[in-house]
Amino acid sequence: MGDLIAEIEACVPALRRYARALTRNADVADDLVQDCLERALARRGLFRPQGPVRAWLFTILLNLYRNGLRTSRRRGETVAIEDMPSEPMTPAAQPGHMALAEIARAIEALPPEQKEALLLVVLEGVSYAEAAGILGIPQGTLMSRLSRARAALRIFGGTSGEPYLRTVK
Amino acid sequence: MTTVGPISRETLLAYADGQLSAAEAETVEAYLAANPEAAAEVALWRRQDDAIRTLFSPAAAEPVPLRLKPARLSAELKTRSRGRWRMAAAAVVLLGLGLGAGWLARPLLERTPPASDVLIASAVNAHHVFSAENRHAVEVASSEEDHLVTWLSNRLETPIGAPDLSPEGFGLKGGRLLPGDPAAGGRAAQLMYEDAAGERVTVYITAALPDRAPAYEFATRDGAAAFYWANAQITCTVVGTLPDERMKAVSQAVYRQLTGGSSGMGIASDYLEHG
Repeated sequence: MGDLIAEIEACVPALRRYARALTRNADVADDLVQDCLERALARRGLFRPQGPVRAWLFTILLNLYRNGLRTSRRRGETVAIEDMPSEPMTPAAQPGHMALAEIARAIEALPPEQKEALLLVVLEGVSYAEAAGILGIPQGTLMSRLSRARAALRIFGGTSGEPYLRTVK
Repeated sequence: MTTVGPISRETLLAYADGQLSAAEAETVEAYLAANPEAAAEVALWRRQDDAIRTLFSPAAAEPVPLRLKPARLSAELKTRSRGRWRMAAAAVVLLGLGLGAGWLARPLLERTPPASDVLIASAVNAHHVFSAENRHAVEVASSEEDHLVTWLSNRLETPIGAPDLSPEGFGLKGGRLLPGDPAAGGRAAQLMYEDAAGERVTVYITAALPDRAPAYEFATRDGAAAFYWANAQITCTVVGTLPDERMKAVSQAVYRQLTGGSSGMGIASDYLEHG
């Protein structure tokens, strides 16, 4: 049991990072992580995770996040885009340099399932197989979501050595 | 430089996402070196990745707040669940107390059958049990009538007498002491009378009920007729399987003699004479 707690603890920074990226709000994200940890700890007796603890925790976190999304959509809550932490980094899109605020907004605008997939793979460095497991989808579906997410972000990315807005189509 | 065949977009994506083995990655790199457009696309994805990591990675480097420490959360959960157990235990205890109180308060809450019902039922039952007996119909025979009457009076802590029913054709056969309704002293005396044909009538007497209130009741029960009355001294139930007229005459005689012909007998005697 003690080992499991240590393993869970090792995942907390990653869970916070992922939750923060999903929710764009530090407090909401930490609440989500806390819920996730409590659920995991409460269940660990009955429901010992099979496979990596990290995948198990991310699965719980995503379920909670989606439940929360459903609730907030019903309530019609919105998160102010001005609250984004990256705002100060906006200035001066130098050639080849991405405007972080732009890409943050683009990620915000992604359909949830693409955002979840992209952040798992890019931000968390999770393998395709593990990501597909966490999201509960076939690997092919995962890859097509990633591909669509990349294409949506592309309009902000520009091509190498050129101003990013050049590629807007 | 080796020439490489076309590589799928998926493989390129997997390469950009670092999902390929070293050997596979080498193949892709060779391809990219020869295909600037593909290389540009991969570079774009890489920059997307950089942006995403720049945006969100710092959250992982922040010190973890106490509320997100698994060991602490686990301890809290245990306390909470112990608290829940304690609540559950308390609920069980309260439920138990409630049930216990309910059980004790039963006499207050339930409509208990009236005392007369209990006494009549006991009297009829005793009648059936002992009038069917031959050698052991009575405990003390009429040959010891004085002793019988004294003994039963003492036991009931109430003076009683054995009515004389010879005018009705019945002779005293004897009597016995019986356990009885706690409300009426817990004991009962049964006197048994018999006529020439072997017909038997029993008189079931207890000490007065706590309310000592007068009451009168005729009942038929289990094939026997019963006339019950109560006053401040005793309760008495005459039980028999006689025809109505004889039953009434016997009951009247018992009533009259046991109430000493007192003037307070009005209702019951009216009842017996005209009812």
